[in-house]
Amino acid sequence: MPRKPSTRLMRSHAFYAAALSLASASPLHAAKPVASTVPSFTTEQAQHGADLYRTACAMCHGADLSGNFQTPSLKGRLVASWAGTPLSRLTGYIQRAMPLMAPGTLSTEDATALVAFLLRENGAAPGKSPLPTVEKRQASLKFPALAVGPDTPSSK
Amino acid sequence: MSRGPPPAASSEHSRGGSLVRAQAPQPAAPSPSAQPASLPRRRIRLQPFDLRADQITDIKVCLRPFRAMGPRFDVEHVGNKLVFHNYGHGGSGWSLSWGSASVVVEKVSTTLQRKVAVIGCGIIGLTTALTAQRAGFDVTIYTKDLLPRTRSVRANGSWTPDSRISLTAPAGPEFADLWERMARISWATYRDYLGLPGNPVEFIEHFSFSDRPFDAPHEEKPDGRTGDYASTGMPQHGEEFARYSDRIRDIVPAGEELTPAESPFAAPYAKRNSLMLYNFASYGHLLMSEFFQAGGHVVIREFHDPSELTSLPEKVIINCPGYAARDWWNDKSLIPVRGQTAWLPPRPDLPYGLHYHGASAVSKTDGLMVQAYDLDNEGEMGSVGNSFEHPDRTESERAIKVLADLFARSPISEG
Repeated sequence: MPRKPSTRLMRSHAFYAAALSLASASPLHAAKPVASTVPSFTTEQAQHGADLYRTACAMCHGADLSGNFQTPSLKGRLVASWAGTPLSRLTGYIQRAMPLMAPGTLSTEDATALVAFLLRENGAAPGKSPLPTVEKRQASLKFPALAVGPDTPSSK
Repeated sequence: MSRGPPPAASSEHSRGGSLVRAQAPQPAAPSPSAQPASLPRRRIRLQPFDLRADQITDIKVCLRPFRAMGPRFDVEHVGNKLVFHNYGHGGSGWSLSWGSASVVVEKVSTTLQRKVAVIGCGIIGLTTALTAQRAGFDVTIYTKDLLPRTRSVRANGSWTPDSRISLTAPAGPEFADLWERMARISWATYRDYLGLPGNPVEFIEHFSFSDRPFDAPHEEKPDGRTGDYASTGMPQHGEEFARYSDRIRDIVPAGEELTPAESPFAAPYAKRNSLMLYNFASYGHLLMSEFFQAGGHVVIREFHDPSELTSLPEKVIINCPGYAARDWWNDKSLIPVRGQTAWLPPRPDLPYGLHYHGASAVSKTDGLMVQAYDLDNEGEMGSVGNSFEHPDRTESERAIKVLADLFARSPISEG
């Protein structure tokens, strides 16, 4: 059976090529499980987050969350960076790192309110139940894939 | 504006030789002790920069990732991955980058792995990636931003290898030896980038002006600080910061004092030296091109927790996040030291730099860079612990005014 090894080799080459083409077709952002359900937060939480944002965040990230050349935008790319990540990590990051000039000054409730605000600003609708502040419960919720959809005829 | 390659072995005057000594004789009187064997010298003539606040094109703020004990180089397991740290270079990241990369890649080589992941694409991440490629690794950089958009490019980009790199006591004598090794490797590697089109790395003439003799001890403004790093967890005095430059005096061009008759501007004391610069645009593009040409890959990805590294295909990871290690690796040993540069239109025809009264201006290919490095005479303690990464225009305008005032009272310098 002299041909068998080369057949095997060809098969493995074909498999490798398929794997490569799959890899190159995937987006730059490494694949991760993306949640489709939007965690529930309340209008009040998002509004509290908006108030905090104005005083603690807008100076660098901008009133419209668009950031600038040095400071990241909190829309759009934020979804790509955080989709599928447990919300507890986003809350933890905000508490640990932000505001940059005074990290560690936001309470868990405040950081959670900012997460609710970020969800709202990226297109999520408020719900009836509040976003939990307990880390373990937040860890079971994922930042949702909040994709921008096609424009409606009236908005064109 | 493109520049051809400078004449070989004359990078210092590569930009048209506008630094000329005046032909008109000046009664120079060099002190016998300072210049025993030199001929009487003429005044150095420099055209002042056009320093006005309304010429500012950009203000950039950086946070130097300072660690009292020096950069982090330890190795740890995260799941089944082996993570080699390479971050926390204070104000010396650009200067020490190649040496630091070399030290880490030597260790990584012992893993006998072929593939390596590098986290971060600032100057440390990118030089680490290139050094790993040169050692035979297949390298993928995972980063949220590429070099021109990273914090590194908000630095001033000149040879400052012991600028807030560590505190003498916590770092210890072993780090001094390591520092010297890194500095020598970096210096030698940077020399490989001299004389290339676009001047990615170059030397310019740099002048220091002072109202006090240079050997007068620095007097910090009394600030009521007590204790030291050991007792408070934060540096409290400039003297705590390590100075290692004397260890490499044999390879770095010495400065020389100028007599008042030689000095280009009207300050009582003047010095000149040759300063190595990194021009961000051309050097950054060159390094990125080298990385891709050697088959390197980039994956744009933001990490939020060390456990996320377990999803990478590479078993060996070199962690080069700079200041972001504070957030992403929860490393509270990183102390921010704020720095700000203002950028005015480039003046390639005036290739020099100067500093005076805590303000500096340096002519780089991508702009005339003005920095208020110590306007309030705080010495090394200035901006330590300050993480306000937001432009302060007033600070830049003050720096511009300090230097513009020096020029304004220097009529002799015209022409």
